[in-house]
Amino acid sequence: MTFEIERRTLLQMLGLGVGGGVLGDSFAAFAQATDAVTIGWPSDVPGWDPNLRFTPDAQPIFKLVFDQPLDQNPKLELVPKLVAKWDMAKDGLSLAVELRDDVTFHNGDKMTAEDFRYTFFERLQSPLKLDIKNSWRKVSDIEIHSPTKAVMKFSSPAPTAPQWLAFLGSYVVPKKYMEQVGAEKFGDKPVGTGPYKLIDYQLNSRIVLERNDTYWGPKPKLKRVTFEIIKDPSARVAAIQSGQVDLVINVPVREVARLRLEPTLAGEINPITRVILLQCRNDQGFTDQNIRLAAHHAIDKAALSKAFYAGAAVPLSVPVTPGTPGYLPNFTFAYDPALARTILAKSGYGPDKPAKISFASTNGHFPSDYDIARAIVQMWKKVGIETDLQTLEYSKYFELNRGAKLPDATLYSWDNGTADPEIFAGYLLNPKMPFSAFKDAAIGDKIANLFSMTDYSERIDGYRDLAKFAVEFGATIPLLQSVQTLARKKALAYEKFGNGWVLANTMRWG
Amino acid sequence: MIATVFPLVGRRLLASVLILLIVSALLFFVLHVLPVDPAAMSLPPSATIAEIEAMRREMGLDLPLPRQYLIWLSQVLQGDFGSSIHFRRDVLGLVGSALPATIELALLSMIVATVLGIFGGLMLFHVRGSRMEPIVDFGSILLLSIPEFLWSLFFILIFGVALQWLPFTGRLDPDLRLPQGTGFLLVDALVAGRFDIFWSAMRHMVLPCFALGIAFSPTIMRVLRSSLLDVYQEDYIHLARLRGLSEWRILRRHALKNAILPTLSLMGVQFGFLFGGTLLVEVIFSYPGLGNLMVDAVRNADLPIIQAVGLAYCAVVLVINTVVDSLYLVLNPKLRIR
Repeated sequence: MTFEIERRTLLQMLGLGVGGGVLGDSFAAFAQATDAVTIGWPSDVPGWDPNLRFTPDAQPIFKLVFDQPLDQNPKLELVPKLVAKWDMAKDGLSLAVELRDDVTFHNGDKMTAEDFRYTFFERLQSPLKLDIKNSWRKVSDIEIHSPTKAVMKFSSPAPTAPQWLAFLGSYVVPKKYMEQVGAEKFGDKPVGTGPYKLIDYQLNSRIVLERNDTYWGPKPKLKRVTFEIIKDPSARVAAIQSGQVDLVINVPVREVARLRLEPTLAGEINPITRVILLQCRNDQGFTDQNIRLAAHHAIDKAALSKAFYAGAAVPLSVPVTPGTPGYLPNFTFAYDPALARTILAKSGYGPDKPAKISFASTNGHFPSDYDIARAIVQMWKKVGIETDLQTLEYSKYFELNRGAKLPDATLYSWDNGTADPEIFAGYLLNPKMPFSAFKDAAIGDKIANLFSMTDYSERIDGYRDLAKFAVEFGATIPLLQSVQTLARKKALAYEKFGNGWVLANTMRWG
Repeated sequence: MIATVFPLVGRRLLASVLILLIVSALLFFVLHVLPVDPAAMSLPPSATIAEIEAMRREMGLDLPLPRQYLIWLSQVLQGDFGSSIHFRRDVLGLVGSALPATIELALLSMIVATVLGIFGGLMLFHVRGSRMEPIVDFGSILLLSIPEFLWSLFFILIFGVALQWLPFTGRLDPDLRLPQGTGFLLVDALVAGRFDIFWSAMRHMVLPCFALGIAFSPTIMRVLRSSLLDVYQEDYIHLARLRGLSEWRILRRHALKNAILPTLSLMGVQFGFLFGGTLLVEVIFSYPGLGNLMVDAVRNADLPIIQAVGLAYCAVVLVINTVVDSLYLVLNPKLRIR
């Protein structure tokens, strides 16, 4: 005698369990009305106080709710925003600004010079840990001359103050409302002057914005913007393919080619103001300048671009991106393995007696990072440089650098939305800042001098010279201009910015 | 029954306090010996080395580790888990807002795993000795060998992209707003009488719950099957047959009751693993729970959040195991007598 469950009963039970009517109605894709857009975004905002944290990915979201004193056009030139006119003093110690007089916050309060002073001076004196305290540490006062006129005073020359007024975290917040509700409540119900208002926020999940119909500037075409926070790149690809979102950024490069085959989708690989480079030390295995220069000559950057970025990433000879003020279009650092061997031979190294250096790369911090590093290891091997590739967590970079424990070379990615050369070579090579692995006092002095140089042309020329010198000295090994990948429904148009901003207020259907 | 269960719960609570203390110490020391610099991560990119050093002192990172731990522990005992480095917000609030979503996801996934596990176990038992046995057995091994994140990707591709039957991002449709309440979305929706929200939330949970549930069901299937095989060797089963009881009745009234006990123990252990498995599944499905928070915290070296989330995972697993052990006592009279 054996135990029997009727087969039909079992199948019925399984069918009920699995199906259960849950799949009853087919999933209706979120068909978009012509006045709404859903965007798949890779990360959440760190909070809704725009002065609090410098998070590059959050800037295109903050820019919808808040306004900055100055803005950048798609070519990254500075343009007026809340500040209609500005004038930097010749000594770089003050910046006169004239604010627009037709701007109101979402709660109806008028934006005046009081709000400007509060944001860039008074708030910085509070015990709050605001990232903009750091960028505006030189502000000694802001004098208010009228509701629309103010003068920023600096304790030492601040030639890049206008650039910083359009950069990370520099958003004007309402003094009256902030003092009324406090910073914490402001984070729960933010009030800005931007083209959209926040109407729903679910941490790590969704941001819903609605058009500010009383916006002082150009009215956005779309009434509602929804950001779905989708951190996994494969899930972002699936979301655009299924029609659950209308646009996604930062999808794997190889997926872009596949998505381009979809009749309703467009895939883009856009070069942006981000450089991929090797941060070098000037001691241990890289003490010898010949090894540093040979390591640079040995890298075929065009091949890296072709293999990992479909050829869209521009090979770089300086740690500056093309089209920005500090770029040197006529300077080339050659890919020349024969020259690399010759230089190495001068120091007694070659394929038979390789120079040994340590090398690390992040894995997944930016597209194809570890694969690029592996390719570089092979290129180096061919000329006589031997290395064991290690994986490095991006969050460990600063601690290792602080303790002088970084490897001789580290594959690194650097973003500079302003396009100003100060935030390229000026930050990357400054031994007093936490990014630079190359601790060279002479380079440090050059940068300190450039930090306070007020003449724009002279300053830009100075940074060009610095970038060229640093490369020829082997202080840095720039590789590629990085790219931003993007997939969207073909019917959705948007304006491209050189720094990778994808702004919903520039989007439209049709 | 209560007289037996209460001492067990009491003993478990005492043990839990000790375990939480050990886990808290492990978490703290392991995280603090890693070469990450929370001070640098908490400052903007333009910060100088001198400013980072000042921040290290302000955060107490220059103190000896044991002293740092005792300070942190005394604050935790007062309910202060510190402030998030990345969000600059109270950690308890952040964890408190994400925890209900993960518990809801884990509980529903456990229900899926249980239902599939029991049905699968019965099926495996049913086909024993038949030509179907190796096929069904192979199927269960196949299920066992596919991890939950792979199921997640399969389901997204099949039900989200190809068939477009189910949503796979977030907890609700874009036009719906989260109701105020406990944070347990299904409960809040029912309390608010919002069946549209309840339905939308259920649809959003189908894929992540099945991804987790299917991945954890094969173990339940296989344990139930072997338990049933053992139980069917017992004399009382033969006696029941001699009494002329139907096979269905023998299974339902006698065999399953006894075979389910080891399965129940296993489910307690499985829940711990399943709760940990939510981490990747939440990221893939953009589900705003503890796992999503944890992944960000690891990326940003946000030690206060990692510590708090680690403790929250530990506490939830301890609670579930205590509940399962108590249930075991309730269901097994033999243990109560002893």
